[in-house]
Amino acid sequence: MLSSCRSAPADSRTDPRLIILGIDGMDPQLLHRFMREGKMRNFAKLEAQGDFRQLTTSIPPQSPVAWSNLITGMNAGGHAIFDFIHRDPKTLGLYFSASRVEGPKHAIRLGSWAIPLGGGSAEQLRKGVAFWQLLDEHAVPNTIFRIPSNFPPVAAKGKTLSGMGTPDLRGTYGTFSFYTDDPAAAAGAVEGGQIIPVHVENSRVTANLIGPDNSFRKGSPVAVEPFSVAVDPLESVAKVTVQGQEFVLREGEWSDWIRVEFQLVPFFANVKGMCRFYFKQAHPRFQLYVSPINIDPADPALPISTPSGYSRFLTDEAGEFHTQGIAEDTKAVSDGLLDDDEYLRQARTVLAEHRRIFDAEFPRFNRGVFFFYFSSLDLNSHMFWRLMDPKHPEYDATLAAQNGSAIEDFYEQMDQVLGEVLPRLDDRTTLLVLSDHGFAPYYRSFNLNTWLLDNGYINLKNDTSRNSSEPFANVNWTQTRAYGVGLNGLYINLRGRESNGIVEAGTAADSLMAEIRAKLLAVQDLKAKQPVITRVDLAGEAYQGSYAREGPDLIVGYNRGYRAGWQTILGAFPTDEIEDNTNPWSGDHCMDYTLVPGVLLSNRKIAAEAPALTDIAPTILAEFGIPKAKGMIGQSVFQPGSATH
Amino acid sequence: MFGSHKVKLEGELLDKVKQCAEACGYASVDEFVVHALEKEVNKVLPPSEGGSTSKEIVKKRLQGLGYIE
Repeated sequence: MLSSCRSAPADSRTDPRLIILGIDGMDPQLLHRFMREGKMRNFAKLEAQGDFRQLTTSIPPQSPVAWSNLITGMNAGGHAIFDFIHRDPKTLGLYFSASRVEGPKHAIRLGSWAIPLGGGSAEQLRKGVAFWQLLDEHAVPNTIFRIPSNFPPVAAKGKTLSGMGTPDLRGTYGTFSFYTDDPAAAAGAVEGGQIIPVHVENSRVTANLIGPDNSFRKGSPVAVEPFSVAVDPLESVAKVTVQGQEFVLREGEWSDWIRVEFQLVPFFANVKGMCRFYFKQAHPRFQLYVSPINIDPADPALPISTPSGYSRFLTDEAGEFHTQGIAEDTKAVSDGLLDDDEYLRQARTVLAEHRRIFDAEFPRFNRGVFFFYFSSLDLNSHMFWRLMDPKHPEYDATLAAQNGSAIEDFYEQMDQVLGEVLPRLDDRTTLLVLSDHGFAPYYRSFNLNTWLLDNGYINLKNDTSRNSSEPFANVNWTQTRAYGVGLNGLYINLRGRESNGIVEAGTAADSLMAEIRAKLLAVQDLKAKQPVITRVDLAGEAYQGSYAREGPDLIVGYNRGYRAGWQTILGAFPTDEIEDNTNPWSGDHCMDYTLVPGVLLSNRKIAAEAPALTDIAPTILAEFGIPKAKGMIGQSVFQPGSATH
Repeated sequence: MFGSHKVKLEGELLDKVKQCAEACGYASVDEFVVHALEKEVNKVLPPSEGGSTSKEIVKKRLQGLGYIE
């Protein structure tokens, strides 16, 4: 049905082949440890056969930045992705750096209906040419599965599926719904979703699934679709009915994927998604979790693959799968609505889906480049570091006894995947196993904007309202010299760039940056008796390329164990400059980039002394005799000598 | 400060505005003018004077990334 998705006919038996396993967040220290303990036999075999190096990550070491380094062979100055979060210097509005999803801009109004002229759109914000586009130009077949920072996928001749950055059907990066009749559960928005109060009447619950904003209606109210749940009055079991589909769930059971169609204009316009239900509790209180509504890969509402039918092809071959970029619902754990076991089952489903697709796609590979991305180590190192590290503020011995090996288990699954690849290696096949960054504990938070406020760099109109959660609420921009946005970014309030900038570019800005840098490097955590920040990079030194001046002016590199505080990232001012991290999200990597390198393993000897992510695109191209593109700053890791990063 | 405010358009500008409104599919000249002004206001005003509702929407979208509270 999709001829271009079928494997290409075998060509010359001497054609080079390249397999890349991209394992987000695989940490060299943990990998070494698990290898020493005999838990990663295939990785040990690969190291013995070829090589294992640390891979220098990006500045800052955040996934959208790091994978963009890999994709383009440039650093953030070239690809313009500097952080998860960017700001518009004129409005100081915040947005996700890698993509933008917009509804239709114009509409004709007819009564309560607003008929949009043209559909909504999705725009990828990463600049530069992706390595697979260069492969396309040279007729090298390629499959690129779920690489981050590729939503919507750039035009390509090969098979690509978008990954991190792909929104749910509501245009968010994951919004779950939690239905309950528990009056103790506060109705309304929680961090990653919303709690929806329901009533159990005659053992029956009726409620609405929350869909996308309906831009066809005046005011763009959310589209909803009703569903009902018949709860057994005695047993812990329920029957759910959604749009004619019926399924039974026992307490503690996840449903399969359920397809849902949201009617925007009856008989005229609709949008399809899919979600999973988790029946958390029947009695005494009704508790039902519904996952974010994912874009249906069989009929995607937004572009998620090239060719456009590839996502449907994958569904036919390997079943339904999460399309949302960050599929693991970590927020439901942070909000206390899913416990560790419940979350783990969801996280294992995500990996099982990826492995099913891998098992369907990898055997087809016989020419060119095959890239496959795994998210599991990253998300689960974020969530379960606290259960393998007794020094973490959230360490719990009882919970550790139950799930303390979760991270190790996911590493072992990666070893199993590698075990499927090793037998396919031959003289013409190169394998790269790599990660975008490593991992570290996240013990303590540093509230950068609070520190800037306390040190006189930010001025508020009214000091009594500093506790607002609204981004930069009450900031007096005409007396503010610097501000923090995102996980590592620090910006000077520059005249001519920011709409109310007050610091002159040149000497004044340079001396201010030097002053702030020196002060930040001197910040001590009196509780832990160590520096909070070990590195501060100047954009002018860290970045090369056309966009080098569009990101933060300073990049704050936190010490191992520290990260930007939860609220400071979006411009809030918590009371304390430094505080314990009591969130289940307990491991992180958004730190000093030299402290969290990634891994690079190959079945061949790696010649580069200090390989970096920016070397990977030139390496891929060199394997096929393709010169690196203009702006690429690295070189093949198989060529002697070290590049400038 | 409150209530509506009328702006008089005439001559060549009015003709062009009418053409733009029609070409872009706006229901009326008023709707086009209001939308154009909204876009300019959002560009010019600093965030503390912008709408908090839209900031909350942006925050909600970003929270799903996991890194943000």
